[in-house]
This record gives sequence, structure tokens and C-alpha cells, in this order.
Amino acid sequence: MSVEIKSDTIDVKGQKITLVSVRGGEEGIGTFTMGANARDGGMASLTKILYVGAEPVVSMICPNGGNKRSDKLMSLCQGFHGYDRKIYDALAVSFTRLNQGDSLTAGLRGIFSLLPDGVYTVYTSDYYPTDGNGAFFWGGYNTMHEVRGTAEVNNAYASGNVFKPCFLIPTQSLDYYSARGFNNALETVGSRLIQGIAYHVSGFHSALLKGHHGSVACVRANVPYKCAVIEKISDPYTERYAPVQSVKNESEDGTAEEQVEEQHIEPQIIEHEGITGFRSPSVKIPIELFPKDMLNIIISSLHEYKPQHFDVITAKLEAVRKKAVTNSVLPLDVLENSEQMPDTGMVESAYAISGLSDEELNCLLAGDVEYNGRVIVSPNFYASIVTACNYLQFTDLKRFVDFSIAIMDNPELSATHEYVAQRVMSQEKNAKLYTFFKSVVESGDMKYEKIINYANTFVERYAKKDRR
Amino acid sequence: MAFCDLRPVRASDDKTGATYIIGDVFAVYNLGSPFPVVYSWDMVKTVAITRKDMTFSFVGAKKNYCITNKMFNSVDDLLRAIALIECRQKTYGFDYQHEKRLLPMKSLYHECYSMKDTYVGEGVLDEAETAAALIVLLDFKLVKFLWLVAILVTLVVFGVLNYAIGMTRENILYFILISIASGGILALIVYIATHAFARARVKSFSDSDIASKENITFVVSREGFAVCESCVYQNRDLVAWAEADYFVESDKMFIIFKGKLPLAYIPKKAFPKKHIGGVGDIISLSLEQK
Repeated sequence: MSVEIKSDTIDVKGQKITLVSVRGGEEGIGTFTMGANARDGGMASLTKILYVGAEPVVSMICPNGGNKRSDKLMSLCQGFHGYDRKIYDALAVSFTRLNQGDSLTAGLRGIFSLLPDGVYTVYTSDYYPTDGNGAFFWGGYNTMHEVRGTAEVNNAYASGNVFKPCFLIPTQSLDYYSARGFNNALETVGSRLIQGIAYHVSGFHSALLKGHHGSVACVRANVPYKCAVIEKISDPYTERYAPVQSVKNESEDGTAEEQVEEQHIEPQIIEHEGITGFRSPSVKIPIELFPKDMLNIIISSLHEYKPQHFDVITAKLEAVRKKAVTNSVLPLDVLENSEQMPDTGMVESAYAISGLSDEELNCLLAGDVEYNGRVIVSPNFYASIVTACNYLQFTDLKRFVDFSIAIMDNPELSATHEYVAQRVMSQEKNAKLYTFFKSVVESGDMKYEKIINYANTFVERYAKKDRR
Repeated sequence: MAFCDLRPVRASDDKTGATYIIGDVFAVYNLGSPFPVVYSWDMVKTVAITRKDMTFSFVGAKKNYCITNKMFNSVDDLLRAIALIECRQKTYGFDYQHEKRLLPMKSLYHECYSMKDTYVGEGVLDEAETAAALIVLLDFKLVKFLWLVAILVTLVVFGVLNYAIGMTRENILYFILISIASGGILALIVYIATHAFARARVKSFSDSDIASKENITFVVSREGFAVCESCVYQNRDLVAWAEADYFVESDKMFIIFKGKLPLAYIPKKAFPKKHIGGVGDIISLSLEQK
């Protein structure tokens, strides 16, 4: 059966969303659930596999019976070697066409034909080429470990927000890194329209199908890593809203003045029988706005299913990569720059709260979790500090440094000192922090006992960098 | 989740023109309506499945949806729909009402990808064989009870005769014979009644479970077992041994029990003869035999 690909652009609250439906897809790229295995954490955890062609790329253990709120344990399997010429060519052609100025739907047509049946949205977005936890993504998944931000439902999801995934999972092992490829990419990244092609996998993480060397070059050259992103739309959602109450107030001159105040009343399900629509991480589309045939495809297909060559893929899972530890070494400055990039905690916090005023920060510094009768971030003080730090680090570095120093300088907030010190360690070049930590080291005050080790390390690193 | 690759099932109501799709979501295409009404499984309040139909009720829905068996294109589709519902019930925990089942519920299964020492068989679950196996089990349990009944009745009848007529040297032999005969007859009546009850029970299970007439796949593995309609089974779904308590072996089948109720019937004839020993070994290693 030939692949049927249709694309359409719809308008959702003023935002243009590109939809692409695939019917009879070749199942060359996708994910599937393998079930439980006593070896991989017992019957209480599920294993998922991301595959490209007949090769397993990433193994994901989903704890708690595949609970969507649990982060996954991930590790790279064999990775995509490019043996399947059809897929290799499709990726190369799509990448070239996108950089020649083709539209996303036209440029990625070859890749869409390789996907499982379903409806996808495609857009461009800047990615941080890290694993979301401070490590450069290529080579960051060699051993099985829990990757924060891979839960399908996280704080951003839970509050009904849409968010753009921004961290990467490689589809090639680091063995494929070469200095020559890196140098070639370094010459071209400045002139590229699109740096990579990503396929959303879970939570904040997408698999990078094309553009691995480009990602290294972008970090070195300090060029935003702009990717064409493919996301599957399949999760049902039900819209909840907090009703806005209109309140009439008497103004000073006695005239009636209508004022609209946002009041946070218990969310209610709006008058809509059944679900409101279907969503992916970055878009929420009401049922009424879907083209009919695309809606039919979503309803009558599965979120994920096993490809026809499932047995071939699983047979390769037992094989160990020829070079589990690669000799390839990424440039040191690239690795260092990756540590400075936003991590999952920061991005989650940025989506979880809309803003923090100076007055609210002062309240937090005074040990209060409420401002003007409203909870600032969370009723839990420690959670409030954590979220506030992450949010500020993502949005306003200067305020983040000031806030962090104020916390660490306050002995009454000692419970949060260690966490805050950990967060600021990535700001190795910040002179204000250096001054503060130097004074901590020199003072020898007991109120700094929880951060003294961090202070020593920070001062040493700063001094080293200064000498360089 | 087990049976996660089951394709969505479609059912059409010719009278109203409505079309239902049961899959990752439950969708209703009403005639004349431009868009379907779609419910996610977390909105399901109750699903009730009877011999003739299945009824869905949803949170916030204006009406319940009743899909009769005839609306499905085939029995395979109906069985797939039931499997989908039972798997979702495990995940979302909605109220699920159903008739008696001869096969294990799909909510007991989990997907398993390392199936070691697996024996797979196929066949139809024979009603007479199943009843016979249950009767063997009943005989085993009844034997002491029947002896007790026979002895008690014998003594009671002997006592009653002595009280009513009075024992003499001439009639004592008759009294003994009559008493023993009464005990034996009553024990026989109890025996026949329980056998009839066992047969009726299997028949009622069989009648209420549509799957009992279908081709069944039997799987016995170190990780678990499966007794599932062949049109639904996906080769990787098993009921863990921990879900069962013990098993009983008759000459024709293994019966796996959970508590006092049979969980699965595994006929020996479903497997090649050379495999029956291996099947028995795995079951006896995994469960206690009674």
C-alpha cells in the first residue's frame, strides 16, 4: 500500500499550526512498547524502544507500570548506522531541502512517509543540545540512567500548558563523531536555515534524526540550534478554565467602574460533551478545528504500535554496541558551554509560573510563601525557592544571581543553601558570585557551613579561568 | 499495558446511523453531526457487558451508549472490543460489570517480552471435557463428604426404624440392609446432583462467555500463562503465575484456580504430546498442586 500524506494549516487562537496526516506509513521511525521484563526492573516497569529502520536506537524503561508522571530510564542501544539507505537518503534529502528554503511539509515529506500512521504537527524551534541535565546530548546516554524531564506528564503538562520540547536524544552513537565532520559543520552552520531534524519522543526530549555534527558546531560557534520538529498529535485533553469574574467597583470620583479581576476559582469542565480535543506537547487542537479526515485518522489509529519488523529490532536489543566506550572526544569548550545551558528544572519552572515580581521575591527571602494573601509559587517553602531559582535562572540571570546570594547570605534559610549553591555553580564566570564566594571562604563563618565546599570549588574554578 | 497493539474496533448502528469506534478513545459519530463526540477512557464511569450488548456511561455525558453484539462486523471484532475495554479498565479503574467468564479477564494480563520455555497450543475449549475435569475435582472433594452422608443416613434410618417398629432378632437383618441402602441411595442422589450442578455451571459459564465457542490460544511459560481467544492474542501477553493460587490436574486438562474459582482451563490435547510433560513441569514448578 502506498503512503498517503496530507497536510493542512489550521488557525488555533491566531496561531497557525501545520498538520500532516500519514496513512499507510512505512513504520521506519517511531516508538513502541515492548512490555515488562524481569531483567529490566521487574513486571512493574515497561520498556519502550525508539527505533530507526531496523535498528533499536534508545531503550526506555518506564517505571511504575509506565506511569506517565514518572521520568524514564534511558540508554542508547546500537543507534542508527545508516545501513538502511532509504532512511539515510530521506534524512539527507529532507535536510538539504529545508536548507534550500523548502517549506516544512514539502521538505520533510520523505521523513513523513517513514512514520507510523497518525497525525503530526511540524514546526521549527530552538533546541538546547543537552540531555536536559547539563550534559551534552551526544554521548550523554551511554549508560542507563534516569533522565529528568522525560515524563510524558510533567508540571507544565499538568497545568494544561503547551510547551516546546527543547532537549535532545541522539540517534547515532558518539563513535560517529569525527573532527572532520565537526570542522565541515563549523563552516556551514552560520549559513544554514535549519540545523537539525528532531522527532519528539517523550516530555521535553526529542530524538535528533539529522544534524549531530551541526549541534557540536552550533555550540562552539554560539549559533542557536534551530530544529525542524515533528510531534505526534494523539493525547486527548479536556479543557479546564478558571472563570473570570467581573466586579463593579466604585472609583474615587464616585462613578461606577467595571473592573475585571482574575479570580482563581476551582477549575470547572466547560460545557463540552466528551473531550475538547487532541494535543501534542506544543499544540492543543479542539476537535472542531481538525480537518475531518485527519480526525478520523487520530481516532481510528493507535498512539503507538509495533512495526512489522518488530522481531528484527528486538533481536538486536541483546547485542552490545561494538564500542560501548568511544574514543571520540568532543571539544572541551562544547562540553563546558553545555553545562551553562538551561536544564529541565529551569525550563519546567519557566512553564510552571508566569512571573515573579521583586516584592514576591522579597517575601520568599523573608520566609513567606504568600504575598497579598496569594500563594506565590507553592505552599511548600522549599519547593517555592527551588522553582523561583530555576525560573530566574531561565529568564533573568542577573536577578537569579542577586536572589541566590541573598538566600545564601540568610542563615534562616539554611535548608535551601545547598540547593541554591548547586544551581549557581554553573555560573562560573560571574564576578558577583566570585566576590560572594570569596568572602564566604575568607570569613569562615559557621552560617556558611553548608556551602563552604561549593564556595571553595567556585573560587578555584574562577581563578583557573582567570589565569587562562 | 497488555494487548496494546489491538487495532480500534468499529461498530455501526443501522437504525440510528451512529458509528462507534472503540480504541485509544471512545468515539461516536452521530448521523448528521459534523464532528464526533469523543471520550477518553478516564471519563468512563461504567461499562456493562451482557450476552447481547455493552453499555457505556461517561462522566458528564447526556446519555449512555448501548452497542449490541449485532452492530459489530464479526465476533472477532466483538472479542477485540471486550479485550480493549478490559485492558483499559485495568489502567483507568472504571466500574466494569460483566457476565461469568470461562477465560481469564484481559485485565489480568501484562505484556512480557522475554518468554522463556514457552509452550503454545491452540484449540477449542470442549464443554464436556471441561465439565468432566471439574467433576473429577468434585469427586476428589466429595468423597469424604459422601461417606459421611452415607454413614449418618444409615445410622439415622436404623435409629428411626428401631424407634418406630422396634428391633427384634427376626428384623435386624432387614433393618441393617434398609439402613445401608438408604445411606447409599442418598449419597448417590447427592453425587448425581453435584455432578449435574457442575455440568450446569460449566454450561452457564460457557453460554455467558462468547469466547468459549472460539478458537483459543493456550500458552504456558516460565513468566506466566495465557488462555485467550486466538483472534485477540498477540503472542506476548501473559497472566503472571502470582495471579493464581493452585492447580488441579485431571487426565484431560490442567485447571488453574484463584481462590475457590477456576481461573483457566488448559486442555492437554491443545499441545503436541511431546510437550505435555514440559507444560506440566512448568505449571507444577509455578503453582501448588491440589
